[in-house]
Amino acid sequence: MDDLVIRSVSRLVVPFIQLYGLYVIFYGHLSPGGGFAGGAIVASSMILYGLSFNLEAGSRKLGHDVSSFMESGGAIWYLIIGLLGILFGSNFLANRYAGVSLGTPGQLFSGGIIFFLSLGIGVKVASTMITLFYSLSGGEDSSGSNN
Amino acid sequence: MSLHLPVLIVVLLLAASYTVPLLDRYRRGLTLPVTILSLITAFISSLYLLYLIGVQGPFVYHLGGWPPPWGIELYIDYLAVYMLIVISSIGLLVIIYGAKDLLHEINEEVLSWYYTLYLLLMASMIGIALTNDLFNLFVFVEISAIASCGIISAKADRRCIEASIKYLILSALGSGCILLAVAMIYMITGNLNFDYVAAALPEALKLYPYNIVIALGLFVVGFGVKSALFPLHVWLPDAHSSAPSPSSAVLSGLVIKIYAVALVKLLFRVFPPQIFEAIPILDVILFLSVFAVMAGSIFAMVQDDLKRMLAYSSIAQIGYIFMGIGLFGGRALTGGLLHIFNHAMMKSMLFLAAGLIIYATGIRNLKDLKGIGVRMPWTMGAFAVGAFSMVGIPGTSGFISKWFLALGALDLNRPFYVAIILLSSLLNGIYYFPIIIDAFFGTKVDPVSEFRDVPALMLIPVLILAAGVIFFGFYPKPLLDLVNKAISF
Repeated sequence: MDDLVIRSVSRLVVPFIQLYGLYVIFYGHLSPGGGFAGGAIVASSMILYGLSFNLEAGSRKLGHDVSSFMESGGAIWYLIIGLLGILFGSNFLANRYAGVSLGTPGQLFSGGIIFFLSLGIGVKVASTMITLFYSLSGGEDSSGSNN
Repeated sequence: MSLHLPVLIVVLLLAASYTVPLLDRYRRGLTLPVTILSLITAFISSLYLLYLIGVQGPFVYHLGGWPPPWGIELYIDYLAVYMLIVISSIGLLVIIYGAKDLLHEINEEVLSWYYTLYLLLMASMIGIALTNDLFNLFVFVEISAIASCGIISAKADRRCIEASIKYLILSALGSGCILLAVAMIYMITGNLNFDYVAAALPEALKLYPYNIVIALGLFVVGFGVKSALFPLHVWLPDAHSSAPSPSSAVLSGLVIKIYAVALVKLLFRVFPPQIFEAIPILDVILFLSVFAVMAGSIFAMVQDDLKRMLAYSSIAQIGYIFMGIGLFGGRALTGGLLHIFNHAMMKSMLFLAAGLIIYATGIRNLKDLKGIGVRMPWTMGAFAVGAFSMVGIPGTSGFISKWFLALGALDLNRPFYVAIILLSSLLNGIYYFPIIIDAFFGTKVDPVSEFRDVPALMLIPVLILAAGVIFFGFYPKPLLDLVNKAISF
């Protein structure tokens, strides 16, 4: 697809979509949304980029190596944060009980580990959706999972 | 530390499953060792949990330190630990077999993704066994449904993909039923924790009887589809026969049973006993199980594909487990739950033995199996043990579970079901014995030209399972004690 209007508009819009996605992820504990919704929004910006330019350009921006690293990394990050709860003498995924400071309600850095968990989920969801998109569109030649 | 063990098993398997794709990129040789090591750890931890609840009794684990009704609760009782041991032991043996078998069955590039899905499946089944929370149960059910579809379609040929799409659609229907039932329960009780729901339901039954009845029906249908209870079994023969052999073994051996266990937990721990007087749900399950036992065997008789026959046989065998549920009250549930382990052993062994035959000769058709016992004595010996156990010959573990089912039917004064068990055992004999007789005494028409030697690593799990079938056939006491503790609701 080679359309000047679509290209220019998406070039303008992509950063804002990503910023909004990050906002939804980071404010997951304060406002509606969270890791899943925010990750999906971030991924949609990449999908828009891939569609309006071309798929090769899109997959160059976020290669399969990076996205599969992020996929696994996001989930492992979540599990590690969960295990910290056990390490600090409480149960898996413990927050206040593990002695994490909860901060002032309403502030960005409050809610203890929830912030970090949303981040992990956001990374995982975004990279998974991007991988799914490229697997379905056939723009990815490696991994063998698509044919 | 040991009190964190239940959640650590699930976390370990999840972590391993997410690590495998990374290892695939950087250290491909490590994917298999990581998979097997994590399953060995899970198995040892399950045994330790058995010891632990023997010492201090069943205990609960609150995720995040939040007590119910706010937090998710894991409940580690004998039933959960029994399932943990079944899942981790059979899962371990199957993947050891799969290490060599998968190399020729699926594309090398997706091999590590197969391990990922396999570990996810194990983690989700262990989660289903442990959880004490309705929504958490639903989440694990979904994970296991997706992972099961993945390990069916890993082979990437036309039949596998068709079968896995069929399975995906039907199991999504089942998940939908379960979700709707959870919503119904949540709507009237305001709780998701099993114990809190169980406490609220007797009162709610008077106020909202229809909601509870509908929820119960949806649970039975949802878990019935997933565990292939007779009229809802249509996805199973395709899925289990076309999948790679390790997938067939683990799907037939473990996955369909974990849903039956989830249903047992819900029926006898969550729903109030009065509901069985209000609607004859146990009789419905019993009725369907009778059909399952008969129809599964009759369908299996007319198959000429080895793995397809085994798949239909699974439908009959899951019928015994549901018969145990339906005959609740006597010793039948002991037989039904015992059959979970026994059938897991023998059916996964039979599927693995079938996989060995296909690996060595490429034969799938039953008619071509004549004289194969001379070429592959160990494999067909194990197959014979499994077949005897399916029929219920004394001295094999299958006999013990059928014996307790029959005793349970007599406890409830329903000798009709004893006749059904006998008749279906005869039917089992009709389709299993000709294979063995042909294999050992049949004269071969034309010798198999291609014959590959079977690696020892693939044969050993099959022989361990065969030894287990015989061992627990002669010495079922440890299992019986465990199961009897598991069903004391």
